[in-house]
Amino acid sequence: MSSFKDANVLLEVKDLRTHFKTDNGILKAVDGVSFTVHEGETVGLVGESGCGKSVTNLSIMRLVPSPPGKIVGGEVLYRGTDIMKLSEKELRNIRGNKISMIFQDPMTSLNPYLRISTQMIETIRLHQNMTKQEARERAITMLKLVGIPSAESRIDCYPHQFSGGMRQRVMIAMALSCNADLLIADEPTTALDVTIQAQILELIKKITEQLKTAVILITHDLGVVAGMCDKVCVMYAGRIVESALTDDLYASPAHPYTKGLIASVPKMDGNREERLFSIEGQPPNVIDLPPCCPFHPRCNRTCEVCRHAYPPVKQVGEDHYVACWLACSEEERKGALEGAENNGK
Amino acid sequence: MALFRKKEIATNEFNQVIVGTSLTKEAWKRLKKNKLAVVGGVIVIIYTLIALCASLLPIYPYDEAITVHRNLRPSLTKTAGDLMLEQEMKNLFFQAWRQGRLELSDEEDAQIEAWVMESKTNQVWDLVYARGMEALEAGSFEWNSSEQSRIDRMLNNIETETQITIDKVSVVYEGKTMNIEDMSYEELRGLYASLLGVDENTLEESLVNEVRSAVSNELRSKDSTLSGEDLDSSVEMEMDALGEDGIHDRASTNIIGYIEQIAQRSANSDIQAMIDSGSMTFPYEGTFDLSNGLHVELEVTKMHERRYIFGTDYLGRDLLSRIIYGSQVSIAVGIVGTVTSIFIGILVGSLAGYLGGKVDYYLMRFVDIMYGLPYMLLVIICMAIFGRQIVNLFFALALVSWLTIARMVRGQIMSLKNQEYVEAARSMGAGTMHIIFKHMIPNSLSIIIVYSTIRIPAFIMQESFLSFLGLGVQAPYASWGSLIGDAVSSMALYPYKLIIPSIVMVIFLFSMNFLGDGLRDAFDPQTKNQL
Amino acid sequence: MTKYIIRRLIGMIPTLFIIITLSFFIVRIAPGGPFDGERALPEAVKRNIEAKYHMDEPLIVQYGRYLFDVVRGDLGPSYKYKDYDVNTLIAVSLPNSVVLGSMAMIVAIIFGVSLGTVAAVRQNTLLDYIPMILAAFGLSIPLFVFAPLLQQIFCMQLGWFPTTGWFMNNGAPLRTAVLPVIALSFAYYADIARLTRSSMVETLRSDYIRTARAKGMKNSTIIFKHAMKGAMLPIVSYLGPAFAGILTGSIVVEQVFLVPGLGKFFVQSSFNRDYTLIVGVVIVYSAILIVMNFIVDIVYAYLDPRISYK
Repeated sequence: MSSFKDANVLLEVKDLRTHFKTDNGILKAVDGVSFTVHEGETVGLVGESGCGKSVTNLSIMRLVPSPPGKIVGGEVLYRGTDIMKLSEKELRNIRGNKISMIFQDPMTSLNPYLRISTQMIETIRLHQNMTKQEARERAITMLKLVGIPSAESRIDCYPHQFSGGMRQRVMIAMALSCNADLLIADEPTTALDVTIQAQILELIKKITEQLKTAVILITHDLGVVAGMCDKVCVMYAGRIVESALTDDLYASPAHPYTKGLIASVPKMDGNREERLFSIEGQPPNVIDLPPCCPFHPRCNRTCEVCRHAYPPVKQVGEDHYVACWLACSEEERKGALEGAENNGK
Repeated sequence: MALFRKKEIATNEFNQVIVGTSLTKEAWKRLKKNKLAVVGGVIVIIYTLIALCASLLPIYPYDEAITVHRNLRPSLTKTAGDLMLEQEMKNLFFQAWRQGRLELSDEEDAQIEAWVMESKTNQVWDLVYARGMEALEAGSFEWNSSEQSRIDRMLNNIETETQITIDKVSVVYEGKTMNIEDMSYEELRGLYASLLGVDENTLEESLVNEVRSAVSNELRSKDSTLSGEDLDSSVEMEMDALGEDGIHDRASTNIIGYIEQIAQRSANSDIQAMIDSGSMTFPYEGTFDLSNGLHVELEVTKMHERRYIFGTDYLGRDLLSRIIYGSQVSIAVGIVGTVTSIFIGILVGSLAGYLGGKVDYYLMRFVDIMYGLPYMLLVIICMAIFGRQIVNLFFALALVSWLTIARMVRGQIMSLKNQEYVEAARSMGAGTMHIIFKHMIPNSLSIIIVYSTIRIPAFIMQESFLSFLGLGVQAPYASWGSLIGDAVSSMALYPYKLIIPSIVMVIFLFSMNFLGDGLRDAFDPQTKNQL
Repeated sequence: MTKYIIRRLIGMIPTLFIIITLSFFIVRIAPGGPFDGERALPEAVKRNIEAKYHMDEPLIVQYGRYLFDVVRGDLGPSYKYKDYDVNTLIAVSLPNSVVLGSMAMIVAIIFGVSLGTVAAVRQNTLLDYIPMILAAFGLSIPLFVFAPLLQQIFCMQLGWFPTTGWFMNNGAPLRTAVLPVIALSFAYYADIARLTRSSMVETLRSDYIRTARAKGMKNSTIIFKHAMKGAMLPIVSYLGPAFAGILTGSIVVEQVFLVPGLGKFFVQSSFNRDYTLIVGVVIVYSAILIVMNFIVDIVYAYLDPRISYK
């Protein structure tokens, strides 16, 4: 798989922080996330449920429901302009036009009270200077592209007349109908049958390659990532713990969590007698988390410093970054431990 | 206690406290956070306590009518006597102004004329009273002799008149000492006949006639256009609706009144003697054994020293007391109606939900059709036709209000039916009723209770609505609705009669609504957009 | 759709039938007849009257006769207002009630939906608090308190409105309708506003609204085009019960503001056992209610494409 190092940077997320106010305290759903997406690149965002993957992407689009959520810091640069600083109107010009999204549950993501045609045509006409008829034809073309049979007549149906897989196809058609540069796919296949999942992923891959769209693919399935992505970011408890090109990540995972994740993917060629690997324990509650590596209770290589300070991000290879004390030198750990103890006093 | 506390606190690897909370506990926590709901809850509890303890409170009886005290305005400081005098003087000043003896400025004259045209009586009275008192003090106005004597007479009455309140009359009847309030109609009639020395049958006839003429008066006060044939026929219908038992009940009330009067009259001379000799201190409580075999416990108070902080009604009954006893009726209707409707609703809903199939289909079609009925109209018809007793009211309201709860319970049961633990219970051989009452209803009870709380204000409103129309609670009993209904016709002259019960009622409904909303949000945060 | 409408139309018949039967028998089994009281009448005359009104026949025959008449649209003669038949009495008073009720309903819907939507969109601001506090009042102040208070304040104290009169009679000015309509609509404004707010808040949180935002739609388009339809469904299904409430509520309003409507006849006729008039009024009220429920169902089906017409 080729590196996209030479391509232009499309999206750059820097130190993004999104917090939620809850009854029990402030929930730091996204706490300092940074990554980049190049033109045409497919980036996978992997992690367990509740680790902040979806909130990261909603924050990119400034779609976090507020209240209770609030983006408290960081920058999201789309071709150099900071989305966080745009006015509502400028933002609307990016949403759906430059960056579009598809969501986890196709059953609820389409408006059940409006025809597919209405929903698609309004999107196209919003961003492209088209007449109603032109927009309709464009919509039909897109539906055909995503493989909806007899799109000319089906376009006037309501969402409930489609199956789940078909609805996700409609969502993809709608998301790409304005030639967006970046498609954010938030677990697009979780709610679908396994057989449909493969079809939809294949479709996303095919179409985005065809239209040269960059993709951020959110998933908890490392198998999906391996097949689809050029680059992978692994998230845990609101932060990215490791990011690397896909092949590098599989070949030499640096973070114990990533290792655990890879080990827990069932392998067809594996020994059947062997028990499937699983990571012990639960991810922490991210409210009032003390300064420490959030993974340390589940880690099999914990050391003292893990309990007292969050590890810094270290480069361990070309385009391969990890946030783990194991990747740090002895002096750095000692320094951090002393610093933490001084703070404690 | 401390031990238990310690057990509850557990921490994970991050020193984060992990507290296992049950659904109910969470809900309570949410409820406690909702200030309005808590305040509402406290107010509801206070109302309920006051209503429950009405008979223990130091208030005047709700049905004791003192004619000279009618329509007194509410006052915290002035006694009934002061208010009576004030009212009398207002009248006299006004007459004096009419006769030209009380002289006001031309502007004020014109103003009064205008007010009279608009029948703003209260403003006129207040103005002439204020000016009159000023003039009296300045010496520019004097009462003439007949006015002076009226005032003197009234002052004298206020000073001396006493109110004798009978607490209990008992009599030795057929060897037993009985409180007359506990006696049956026949016993009362016998006793009364012997006291009067007349034949029981003639007595019976006159008693029935008395009830008839009372009914006739009530009808005429409701609809002044009734007369002649129409009135007669309406009265007969009313009597039929009362039935023999109803007539006897009313007659019994009358007889008790008469016997109390006889007792009071007989005791009067003794009391008067005590007052004259100066040996009586007010308030006085005592017992008298009378020559005619009656044994009476009574209380003697200075009648005009009473204070009515909420004023009195058109018969001179204490409004405070009537409101408190009215709360009793209104709150009781709310609670009893809700409980009955929950009971029927649970029964029908759980049967339909659990049995499913044809039973479910027919029960739910029935509920659907009932939903289509203008049921308040049917309640009105029932009340008008089957007599306006509180029992009928409970019955009529409860009969039509279980529909929503039945639907809700059915939905709950349907969703619970397929849960594993129910399967488990069935696989162990538990019967239908056991599963319904031991497993399903307890699990849906919290939601049912929450929705019932929301229903209570609706019941109270419906009861009051009927009472307002004159179809609910009947005199001498009161409810919030009947108090408001009575006040509407005279609201221009005595606005307090309308405003005070309205405020009392609205505060309760407010609290109840906030409490209900709070409970619903706490226990069932999902389904917010249902009424 | 047509099939669905026809099926619902046919479904109305049993409800109406039950209402007629129920009210007929409740009224008949009650003690005391309309002519019982007139003792002065000789037995023969009384029998004559009863024969005239077919009251000498067995109950079931009377019922059958009545049912037949109702189907023909004849509600029979009034027993009390001897020179009128029920049809005339209803025809005279019904329009007043219908106009009052519909005006109240329209006012309640307009204010309830618009203020409820504003409250949902501007959550936790003054524009949320004021309509909701008003709604809390509407929920807790019973109509029979509110109507007299309005009359007391605006007619008697301030003198802004005439105390009696109804604009459809004797050329009384239109403003005579203001207070009755406000009084009658207040409680329903409260319900509709609260319902709209919560349903709107719920809808605005839903996935498809997030999709619309992600597409870059304008806020106003999202609210009116995407959210409104779904958010209106609970309100539409509430309108059925609301109509029923307004019917009963109008009895109070008509009494307080002396509107010459059907409500007065209803209360009076149930007091003096004017059988035919009671049953007639109940039938008319029920018919209105059933038709309203029917319309509500059709509107609901129109708004929600997921409803199947099978």
